[in-house]
Amino acid sequence: MNAITLRLRQEPVVALEAEVITPDRFAEMSHEEICSSIVYHGKRQLRLDEFFDVDGERSDQLILHGDLHRVRHLGRAMTRGSLTAHGDVGMHLGAHMKAGQIEVFGNASDWVGAEMSGGKIHVHGHAGQQVGAAYRGSLAGMKGGLIIIDGSAGIEVGMRMRRGTIVIGGPAKDFVGLQMKGGTIVLRDGAEIRAGAWMQRGTIISLKPLDMMPTFARSGLQNPTFISVYSSLLKPHGCELPNDAAAGGYLRYAGDRAVPGKGEILVWQEHSANEAY
Amino acid sequence: MQKSKFLPRGRKDRTVVMVDIRETKSAKAADHFLQVRPGKDFELLTIMRAMIKDQEISEAEVAATGVSMEVLRDLIDQMKKAKFGVMFFGMGLSMTRGKHMNAAALLTFAAEMNAFTKFVAMPMRGHGNVTGADVIMRWQTGYPFGISLNRGYPRYNPGEFSTVDVLVRGDTDCAFIIGADPGATMPKPAIDHLAKVPTIVLDPHVTHTSRLSRVHITTAPAGIAAPGTGYRMDEVPMPLKPALNSPYPSDEEVVRRIKEAIAEKPDWMTNQPQMIESQV
Amino acid sequence: MLRITGGTVYDPANGIDGEVKDLYIADGRFSSKFETGRTIDATGLVIMPGGVDVHTHVAGGSINFARAMTPEDHRRTQAFIRSKTRRSGLGGMAPTTFATGYLYAGMGWTTVNEAAVPVLSARHTHEELRDIPIVDKSSLVLMANNEIILDLLEEGEDERAKHILAWHIWAAKSYGVKAVNPGGVASWKYGNDAKHLTSKIDGYDHVTPGTIITKFAKMIDELGIPHPLHLHCNNLGAPGNVETTLETMRHLEGSRAHFAHLQYHAYGGDDWGNMRSEAAQLADYFNAHPNMTTDAGAVLFGDTVTITADGPWQHLLYKLTGRKWGNLDVENETGCGIVPYTYRPSNLVNAVQWAVGLELLLLINDPWRVFLSTDHPNGACFWRYPEIIQLLMCSDYRNECMANLPPNIKNKISLPEIDREYTLYEIATITSAGPSRALGLPQKGDLGIGKDADLVIYHQDHDIARMFGHPRYVFKGGEIVIEEGDIRETPDGREYLVQPSYDPEIDKFLRPLFEDRYCMSFENYPVEMERIERSQIQDCVTLGGEGE
Repeated sequence: MNAITLRLRQEPVVALEAEVITPDRFAEMSHEEICSSIVYHGKRQLRLDEFFDVDGERSDQLILHGDLHRVRHLGRAMTRGSLTAHGDVGMHLGAHMKAGQIEVFGNASDWVGAEMSGGKIHVHGHAGQQVGAAYRGSLAGMKGGLIIIDGSAGIEVGMRMRRGTIVIGGPAKDFVGLQMKGGTIVLRDGAEIRAGAWMQRGTIISLKPLDMMPTFARSGLQNPTFISVYSSLLKPHGCELPNDAAAGGYLRYAGDRAVPGKGEILVWQEHSANEAY
Repeated sequence: MQKSKFLPRGRKDRTVVMVDIRETKSAKAADHFLQVRPGKDFELLTIMRAMIKDQEISEAEVAATGVSMEVLRDLIDQMKKAKFGVMFFGMGLSMTRGKHMNAAALLTFAAEMNAFTKFVAMPMRGHGNVTGADVIMRWQTGYPFGISLNRGYPRYNPGEFSTVDVLVRGDTDCAFIIGADPGATMPKPAIDHLAKVPTIVLDPHVTHTSRLSRVHITTAPAGIAAPGTGYRMDEVPMPLKPALNSPYPSDEEVVRRIKEAIAEKPDWMTNQPQMIESQV
Repeated sequence: MLRITGGTVYDPANGIDGEVKDLYIADGRFSSKFETGRTIDATGLVIMPGGVDVHTHVAGGSINFARAMTPEDHRRTQAFIRSKTRRSGLGGMAPTTFATGYLYAGMGWTTVNEAAVPVLSARHTHEELRDIPIVDKSSLVLMANNEIILDLLEEGEDERAKHILAWHIWAAKSYGVKAVNPGGVASWKYGNDAKHLTSKIDGYDHVTPGTIITKFAKMIDELGIPHPLHLHCNNLGAPGNVETTLETMRHLEGSRAHFAHLQYHAYGGDDWGNMRSEAAQLADYFNAHPNMTTDAGAVLFGDTVTITADGPWQHLLYKLTGRKWGNLDVENETGCGIVPYTYRPSNLVNAVQWAVGLELLLLINDPWRVFLSTDHPNGACFWRYPEIIQLLMCSDYRNECMANLPPNIKNKISLPEIDREYTLYEIATITSAGPSRALGLPQKGDLGIGKDADLVIYHQDHDIARMFGHPRYVFKGGEIVIEEGDIRETPDGREYLVQPSYDPEIDKFLRPLFEDRYCMSFENYPVEMERIERSQIQDCVTLGGEGE
C-alpha cells in the first residue's frame, strides 16, 4: 500500500478546518474522493484539492508537505495508520486520537493530542498550549497513549490527564499537570511556575529544578525502582531518565494539598548540587 | 447601603476585606486591607484552599505571598464566622499571569467555603453590558464567549475562538465591533490586524478602534438615547429607558438592517443537513 | 383550510379512544367544516393532541447558568445547523433556546410550562421564552420564600399578603405560582434548610413551612389562578422524606394543589444505604384525595444536569458527587443550585429513583391527575420522554430494564409486582389532556371544535420509543411544523399570562418595603407588558365548593 501524499499548494488565508485528513477516512477513498473531500476555509466549504495536490489513494499512510500552521484538526480521532507532516501544523493535531502514529517535522500549535486515548504523537519542533489536555469544561484530558514534544511547550501540559505519558524535551510554561488525575509527564528541561497545581494523582518527573507550589510537601531524596522501568519504556522513543544512585536522586514532592491530592513530583538532583540538602 | 432583617445597621453590620497588590482608594473604604505580592494570587488562594482543609503549610511558604500566617488564619476565621460571604473579583485577578486559573482558584475556594458557611463569588465586569452579551450568547448558543459559527452551529474554544486570540493570530479577514474599543486595550499584533482587515465599528463616539476602522457607523448610546436591556453583574436584567433623542439609529437597528441586506445574498451553506449527531 | 382523514384518534378530552375520525382545521383551530384545501391521508396512523409539559426548566437564569457550566456536553451533543429560515442550536442536557423549540416540537409537544421564575429575573426568562420557537409557553413565578410576603404572614396580615402575591404574579407576567422548599430556600441564604413542616425558618418566629404552604394554596385559590399552587415540597431527595410529603398533602386538604416531580419526594428509609421506595404509600393517599394533581419527575439513567431553586439540596449533591457546582442567589427572593449528575443503574439510590418515578405513574390510577415529566433536566432531559412512554406501555421492556438493577434492590421497590401497561388513550391523557386541564388551558390538549389545532400524528410502531420519538407530522396552530423528522416551519408561539385582581393601592404599601430591601428601583421591577410578544391573558376562575 503506497502512502498518500498531500502537498499544500494554496496557503489558506484564515483557518482551514480539515478533520477529513485522517488515515481512517482516506484508507477507503479513491483519488477523486480524496480530492473532492470537503474542507472548511473559514465559513466556506471547498474541495480539498483547492489547497492540496493529492497523490495516491486508498491508504492509511498519509504524508503532508507544506506550511500547515493554519490547517486544523489533522488526524482528528484517528484509529489506525500514520500521518507524517513535513512542516508546521495547526491546532488540534491528533485530538481525540485512539490509535496510530503521528509524526511532525516542524512545530505544532495548541491542543496536540487533546483528550486522546491511545496512539503516539511525536512533534520534533515546539508545541503550543494544552498538550494532551482536556478541552474547557471536560472532566478528563488525555486518557492514554504517548506524546513526545522535542522542543518547548505552552501552558497547561496534560491538564486533567487521566492516563498516558507526555514527554516535553524543551522548557514548558506554567501549569504543567494542572488538575492531573493520573498518567505521567516527563519534563526534560524543566518548566516555569505552578507545575502540578491542584493535581489529584499522577506523576510529574522533572530533570531540572522546579519552582514548586507552596502546597506540596517535600520528602527525601530517593531512587524509585519504577524510574528504571519507565526509562526502558521511553528509551526506544529517544528519552532516558537518569537513575544512578551514585550520580544523584529524585526529590519527591507530594500534593497538591489544596485538593487534597495524592500526586507526586519527582525532581532529579545530582549529588554535587545536593550537598546543601 | 441597604439595611435588612439580618443586617439592620446596613454598612456597619458588614465587613469588607480588600485584597490588592497596592493600597488603592477602595482599600480605604474597606475594614481590612491585605497586601498580596504581585503574581501570588494563585498561590495565596491555593494555600487558603489547603488551610480550610486543615493541611499544614509552612509559615515561610505563606509569607512568600506577602501575607503572614497570623493574618491569614485570622482572615479565614472571620470568613468562617460570616453568615453570608461574597468574593468579588476583577481584572487584576483574571488578566494577570495565571488568568482564568486565578479566577478558577477564587471560584473553587468560594465553593469549598460552603462547607462552613454560605459563600458566593462574583466577577466585577468591565464597563458596558458585558454580562448581557454573555447571558444572551449562552441562551442562543450554549456558550458565553469564544464562539465560532463558521460550521453553521455554535462551537466554543477559548484560546482558539476568543477575540484576542483570533486577532493576534490573524485568523480573520474582517472584523465587526459593537460596544467595545479593542484598539485601546488589546495587544499590538491584534490592533495591527484590525487595521489591516476591513474593520466595521458601531459606536456613539470616535474611539481608538473607530480611528483604525474602514467603516464607523455612529449609533445612539444605549440607555441614554436608545432603549434596551442591561444585565447587572448578578445577571439581573434592567430596562434601559432613554432620556434623550438621538439623530442616530440604535445598534439594534443597524445590525438588523445589515442582516436584512446579507439575507439578500446567496447562502453559502448549502446541502447541509438540518441536524448532525456528532460535531467537530 | 386543511383536512386530516382516516387517522385513529385518541382524544381523552372528548372521550374518544381510538376512533377513526376526520379532523378539519381552519384558522389555526379545529373546525366542523371543510370546504377546500389540502387533505392529509392519515389512514393507519395514530393521532393525539400535541403534548403539554406541565413542569420543565427551559428558560431563565438557572438553566442559562447550567448551559454555561456544561460546554463538554454541548460539544458532544446533536447540533442544529442554521439555514436562511432557521437558527442554529445545540441539544443535550441543557439545550439552547432555538433547539429547545425544535426538540419539543420534534416529538410532538406543543406547549411547555417553565416552572421556576424569580420576579427579579422574569424579564430575562421572557426574553428567552421569546427565543423558543414553535411551542406555546407559560411560566410560574417563585414566591414562597419572598421576604416581604413571609414578613406579612408572620404578622398575620394574610389579606394584604394576598394582594401582594397577586401584584407579583402580574409584575412577573407569569401564569401561576411555584413554591420551592417553602422556608428552606429562605433559610439557605444563611446556610440552613427547613426540612419539615414545623421547621424553624431563619428570621421568623411564627411562620413555618406548614403555614406558608397552606396560606399560599388558599391565596391562590381565592385569587382564582387557573393553575393551582405548584409545589416543590420540603426535604427533596432525602431518604425518609415521604413523611414530609404526606404531611404536606394533609395540610392541603380542601385546597387545590399540584405536586411537582413527586418522584423526588417519595422515599423511605433513613439513610442512603437503606433508602427505599414509598411510592405505593404515597399513591394510596393521592388516589383518595382528588384535590391534587402531580407530575412524575421520572428519572432515566444517563447524564444530565440538575437545577433547582432548592439550594441546600444542591450543595449536598455537590458534596456527594465532587463534581461541578453552581449556585445563584437572586437578592432576597430565591436562589438556585446547579450540579451536573449521572444516574447509573448500578447505583442503588439512582435505581430506586428510577423505579419510584415509574411506580408513581403506574400506581396512581387516575391518568387525569398524574402527568409525564422528568422535571427536565433534573431527572432526565425532556427529549427522552419517548423512552418513558415505552417503559409505561411495555411491562416486558420494564422487566428487561430491571434486570440491570443491583440485586440488593429487592424489597426496596415495588415495580416488579406491577404489571399495568398504559394504553395509547392513557398516554394521550398524561401527556396532553391531563396537563392542559391542570394548567387551566382548555384550548389545549383537546381535538374538539374551536380548540387550538395542535396535534401529532404517529406511525403505528411496535417500537414505542421510536414511534413517539419520530412523529409522521406535528401540527402547531394548524400549521405543519414537523414532517418525518424534518423541521418545516418555525412559527413563534404564544405566551400565556394571568392578571389576578388586587387593590391598586397596594403599590403604596409595597414601595417603601421594596425600596428598603432591593437594590433596584421599584419602577424597574415589574416586567413591562410590551416585552411579552404574542401574549394571551387567561381569565381567572371562580372556584366552587372544595376550595372554600
